Amino acid sequence: MKATFTFITLLVTTATFAQTNITGKVTDAKGVAIPGVNVYLKGTYDGTSSDARGGFAFETDETGNQLLTVQALGFEIQQISIRCNGQLVSHDIKLLESINVLTAVTITAGAMEASDEKKSVVLKPLDIVTTSGAMGDITAALLTLPGTSTVGNDGRLFVRGGDASETAIFVDGMQVGNAFGTTASNVPTRTRFSPNLFKGSFFSTGGYSAEYGQALSSALALNTLDLPLRNQGDLSIMALGGGYTQTLVGKQQSLTASANYYNLAPYQSIIKQNFDWEQAPASWDSEISLRHKWGNAAKSRSGMLKAYFHSEGNRMAIWQKIPGSDSRGDRIQLRNNYHYGNLSFRHSNSNGWLLYGGAAYSYNKDAWKLNFDPVRQVTTLSHTKIVAVRDFSSRFSLKNGLEWYIKTYSEALTDQNLRRDFTDHQLNHFAEGSYYFSNRLVMVGGVRTGYSSLARQVWIDPRFSMAYKFENEGQVSFAAGRFNQLPEEKTRIHDINLKNTSATHYILNYFIVNNNRTLRAEAFYKNYNHLTTWQGNASEPFDIAQNGTGYARGFDLFYRDKKSLKSTDFWITYSFIDSKRQYATYTTRIQPSFAPRHNASVVAKHFVTGLKSQLGLSWSWNSGYPYNDSNLPGEMQRKTGMYSDLSLSWSYLPRPNVIIHAACSNVLGRNNVFGYRYATQPDETGTYASLPVGQGARRFAFIALFITLSKDKSANQLNNL
Amino acid sequence: MKTIFRIITLILFISPAVWAQDSPYQKAMKKEIASLITTDSLPQLQRSANAFARIAELNPSEWQPAYYQALAYIYQSFNMALAIDKKDEALAKADELVKKADAISPNNPEIMTMQGFVTIAKLSADPAGRGQSLSGVAMQTLGKSLTMDNKNPRTLLLMAQMEYGMARFFGSGTEKACGLAKQSLAIFSSQDEEALKAAIQPTWGKNQAEGMVANCK
Repeated sequence: MKATFTFITLLVTTATFAQTNITGKVTDAKGVAIPGVNVYLKGTYDGTSSDARGGFAFETDETGNQLLTVQALGFEIQQISIRCNGQLVSHDIKLLESINVLTAVTITAGAMEASDEKKSVVLKPLDIVTTSGAMGDITAALLTLPGTSTVGNDGRLFVRGGDASETAIFVDGMQVGNAFGTTASNVPTRTRFSPNLFKGSFFSTGGYSAEYGQALSSALALNTLDLPLRNQGDLSIMALGGGYTQTLVGKQQSLTASANYYNLAPYQSIIKQNFDWEQAPASWDSEISLRHKWGNAAKSRSGMLKAYFHSEGNRMAIWQKIPGSDSRGDRIQLRNNYHYGNLSFRHSNSNGWLLYGGAAYSYNKDAWKLNFDPVRQVTTLSHTKIVAVRDFSSRFSLKNGLEWYIKTYSEALTDQNLRRDFTDHQLNHFAEGSYYFSNRLVMVGGVRTGYSSLARQVWIDPRFSMAYKFENEGQVSFAAGRFNQLPEEKTRIHDINLKNTSATHYILNYFIVNNNRTLRAEAFYKNYNHLTTWQGNASEPFDIAQNGTGYARGFDLFYRDKKSLKSTDFWITYSFIDSKRQYATYTTRIQPSFAPRHNASVVAKHFVTGLKSQLGLSWSWNSGYPYNDSNLPGEMQRKTGMYSDLSLSWSYLPRPNVIIHAACSNVLGRNNVFGYRYATQPDETGTYASLPVGQGARRFAFIALFITLSKDKSANQLNNL
Repeated sequence: MKTIFRIITLILFISPAVWAQDSPYQKAMKKEIASLITTDSLPQLQRSANAFARIAELNPSEWQPAYYQALAYIYQSFNMALAIDKKDEALAKADELVKKADAISPNNPEIMTMQGFVTIAKLSADPAGRGQSLSGVAMQTLGKSLTMDNKNPRTLLLMAQMEYGMARFFGSGTEKACGLAKQSLAIFSSQDEEALKAAIQPTWGKNQAEGMVANCK
């Protein structure tokens, strides 16, 4: 028995002797204790978590050299070599914070992002489609954001004193030519692409990345959905037409095909129109999109290939009165055909490399009849791009890209056998590095170079931005850069030697999101140089020069609140734009017609559970459009009355897969005027007769029924509203 | 000497039996699982997550440590005291862990269900802002999981919770949600919990199912 006892005692004491106690305290770089840190010996089960005061203590039976591993969310992992020999090991450990893309500062100067995944967003993708008054048009929804101006007789995006051509639009990184439908002058247009294609967007009103070029004012990058969720069919029946979309989803790929037809004739036969339509706008479109993904993000190699094809055709014929004449006026007939194809890919691997790029082609043909004189204009844009991004560490990454554009334009007077055209090749390279000094401070610097074969010009555009995040989650950011853009093709065709117009941006931004409330304030200064000027008529200009200069400066405010009012989400925007420029036929610097001084909008959405309905309201306002009165000396002497439009919408979900949507714009029936057109010659009394440029109709009403057919009965087309 | 011999024989005889019952991996897992599913204190949940992380490092071919570590982070995100940023940080980690588990054991309905649970937790962190975009994703993931195993009580429970929320939102009846909850509880009750625990198979969710069924009455 004694022997047994000795044997057991021996066993126990050996064990006790081999045990090593490890203790210490974990703090951050400033000495603040970090609780809940995982502290353990690598390759063993021995370890513990630090307590509320950062302290830790544990025992191990291991002996010899061991690796003490210290790991916590938000900090860099640390490993310390220790020796376990039964004696107390004590270590105080300082952890360095790691860069967390999820919570780190982001550059918000000039940028407004719509995303479901990121933090510094002003919108959710769904907001773009549920904004009342937008009528499902991406651009119309963006016009409720700061920095933009609503130009009711145009419909395109006007950003901070820039004209509509100064915004470049990209789908999955590839540029889109003629992103807006062609239309007669003073008849507003829409974006060609349905908002339900996109999972998010990045809208920049200035100071954007070196990745984007040939746009003086703004870049809008739209990202299409990845794999759709399920097989489903979506049927839409509207007062104006209808459509059907079928989605088929496989394990790694998907196919979506859709077709739509719209015709405004029945609607216009019921509701009185101000415009004198001979043939109401009618259009068809069809789309196919394919997705294929590979790899597994957890196993580090993964990627996705997206193909998207869009075709559409539009028809219209309208009579426009001539100031000072009693006749029916000019007849404008348009047949537009448009095709866009986009093939893009992204692939990332474990070594910190991300590759993306693609090829895209836009083809736009406008067959006009201007008072029965046929004119044909064809614009094409092809864009190929390859970008490599390398993350050298979690702090530093470098992006390098090459782009090749081919732009062609031709116009022909078909019955006179007159035709002219040009082809321009543009080569671009861009490089951009971003460095996180900490989770609070980031700097991005880049340079974009370009060459145009037609202009025979090389340009170099530096870009810079930085952001700093405060303790209270608010952040300030700054962006600056130079931007070049060749003149519009309709001007270039008259002088193919035209060089770049240019702009310089400076932007200072404050942004804070807290508890479902967002505040964004931004001040900007933009300087224009080498703007194109000419004499005579825009369709036959002469003395084309590029000496125009200008500026735009101002500030804007955006406040969004989903919290204060129950079941209500609203945002308020105000933009002040002070802009003057000498361009087109103006001989002095004037305030352009598309840059009202004060702009404001309010958007509200309220969900009423009892009614199973979402009620929407949007109001947009500006202080009036400058215009040129031919009866007064000087240029752009007058301003229209203020613009105001209140729109309401009602979406009713009787069943989860059925939506009835009704909307009405300009509910108050306000007679908005966007400017005046003047006769080219004075009448016998010596005055120039004028006609107001107004709205197509006092109000626009819209009613639609959306039905989703799928196995999952709760799926609906909320995305399509 | 005889006694010593007997003791040694006894040790030799017993030990393999003990080892067969519980490897150090199993022992550690059982201990940590027991403490994970009985707590809702943040520090304890973080201790659990850390412990599973240590176990995962030593057992890279087992999916359960990453699975339970994800669960520990999901439970953290349901703590009302946490700011949304912190919740998202925990859930991003949970997301990463579920993907890691999925890479070890593909097409596993338990892991697919956990993926659905991560989405539901993200949705719960900001229902007003994320409800519309994430409820479809959650239903889809759970639906996929049910096609692999339509008798998984946890999938049915989460499905029931989603259906319940949507029925409340649309003001429609909760019969479907309650039916799913009852189905889930019936399966929980018919299972041999001890046997599953011994095999380190997931058993969590029974209490929630009971609570939901009681709520439905």
